[in-house]
Amino acid sequence: MAKEFAYRASFAQQHRKVLLGTLAVVLFLAAWQAIFLVVPFDPLFISKPSLIAAGFVDLVQSGELVHDLAVSAAPFFCGLIAAAVIGVPLGIVMGWRARVGYALDPLMTVFYASPLVALAPLLVIFFGVGLWGKTIIVFFLSVFPFIFNAYAGVHAVDRLLISVVRSLGGGEWDLYRTVIFPSVLPYVVAGARIAIGRALIAVLVGEFFAASEGIGYAISRLGDLFALDQMFGCILTVMVIAVVLTEGIRWGERTAFPWRVGR
Amino acid sequence: MTEIQALKQDFAGAMPADTRDIPVKRLWQRFEPIALGTGTIVILLLVWEFLPRIIPMKEGTKLFFTVPSQIAGTLWDMFATGSIWQPLGVSAAAFTVGLLLAVAAGLPLGVLLGRSATLNAMFDPFITAFNATPRLVFLPLLMLWFGIGLWSKVAIVFLGALFPILINTYEGVRNADKVLINVVRSFGATEWDIARLVVVPNSLPFIVVGLRLAIGRAVLGVVVAEFFGSQDGLGVVMVRAASQFKVDVVFAGLIVFAALSLIMTALVKLLEDRMSRWRPEHVNAN
Repeated sequence: MAKEFAYRASFAQQHRKVLLGTLAVVLFLAAWQAIFLVVPFDPLFISKPSLIAAGFVDLVQSGELVHDLAVSAAPFFCGLIAAAVIGVPLGIVMGWRARVGYALDPLMTVFYASPLVALAPLLVIFFGVGLWGKTIIVFFLSVFPFIFNAYAGVHAVDRLLISVVRSLGGGEWDLYRTVIFPSVLPYVVAGARIAIGRALIAVLVGEFFAASEGIGYAISRLGDLFALDQMFGCILTVMVIAVVLTEGIRWGERTAFPWRVGR
Repeated sequence: MTEIQALKQDFAGAMPADTRDIPVKRLWQRFEPIALGTGTIVILLLVWEFLPRIIPMKEGTKLFFTVPSQIAGTLWDMFATGSIWQPLGVSAAAFTVGLLLAVAAGLPLGVLLGRSATLNAMFDPFITAFNATPRLVFLPLLMLWFGIGLWSKVAIVFLGALFPILINTYEGVRNADKVLINVVRSFGATEWDIARLVVVPNSLPFIVVGLRLAIGRAVLGVVVAEFFGSQDGLGVVMVRAASQFKVDVVFAGLIVFAALSLIMTALVKLLEDRMSRWRPEHVNAN
């Protein structure tokens, strides 16, 4: 008689990926800190994790970091929201009305493919250095992912489902609620993920070019001052924010739309 | 039966009633997308061209405002006088070196990470972090380390292009056909043989997608690096022109960069077609 028992992998095996990843990060930080025992440490060239942590605490306590982040966040969110509000309906109209799609598609492709960042200095000169200029740059860079993803989302709507809803007596509102909205939403959220990456670039470009406040300006200024530990701290902050935003949306996509694997 | 009725009966099943309309309808249907697309662009360019003449503008705005004919003229001038080749050469050099380094590092690393799940798990946090962050944030640091010459640009291009190549190669390797790998293994192949014979040819479509993304990011990297941390190159020309309000030069530069990106992408596609000749399903939807 075969004894049947459930085989459960141990904790380490189940969470293998996360554990290995954490281990790798810890090893990296330890190596970074320890390498200066052998290699001479030049504070003008690089920094170590211990100093970076201290510098970071300094920045947070003086409130500078929070202030800079707030200044940068304003054009980031304003531009993104404007891009979503204008881009998604435009994309939906392009997808819904074939002729509009035909007419606008090549134009949008040209815009999406060219390095619009190159126009950033121009936009700053036109619109100034403050909130307005940065918002415009963020808007222009992040609107196209929204447009294209909404366009693709509408194209992906299954005509069969539309026929089903109509034949069961559904009106326009039912059509939107049960078929179109759930089909388009995953694409729009994926578009938001791409747009966020571009919006971050846009904020940084605007600030590097001409600004007196904001996290990009802080990084640039700290670099000029050779305050490397604080500079690393700011860079790591931006990295953490970028990862949290991007991975957060990815997690949201996986949870809310589990049927869509990959793009 | 009258003669007419007889004729009608003869032709009854042969021709549908609206046959005459169909050839014209089909022609228009085929051309409609292209016509609408190009038509929109042409109309927009015309409107842009004539806007200053239709709408009265303040002297200040007239200083900024440029029109397509001016941009085309400037572009022509830049090529005719040859003033574009030196900056373009500098930019293209940084772009090429960075891209080649990214390919040289990304392909082997991608294959390695794809084959070894442990290594993949260990590198994953770093790859995710660097992929999500805009490379621009490292620019001041890279300028501190490499100065404002070629190498800080190469570093930004490298960072930008490495991750798409790495990630896509890794995806391609993971999707390699296990049956083929087992066959090759049972004939006594080493890891290197497996990589060479099965994994790399199988992942070619993925690698090509990664290359395309990498080219886009590399162009962005060159533009951005030149704006802020360089003394010559096409991006520097653009920034200087922008601060002198020579908006047409800025647009001309943008067009040149976009063209560079398109040419590189087309080259990659040619390369892919050439290397995919052995595939039975040689239809590329990429």
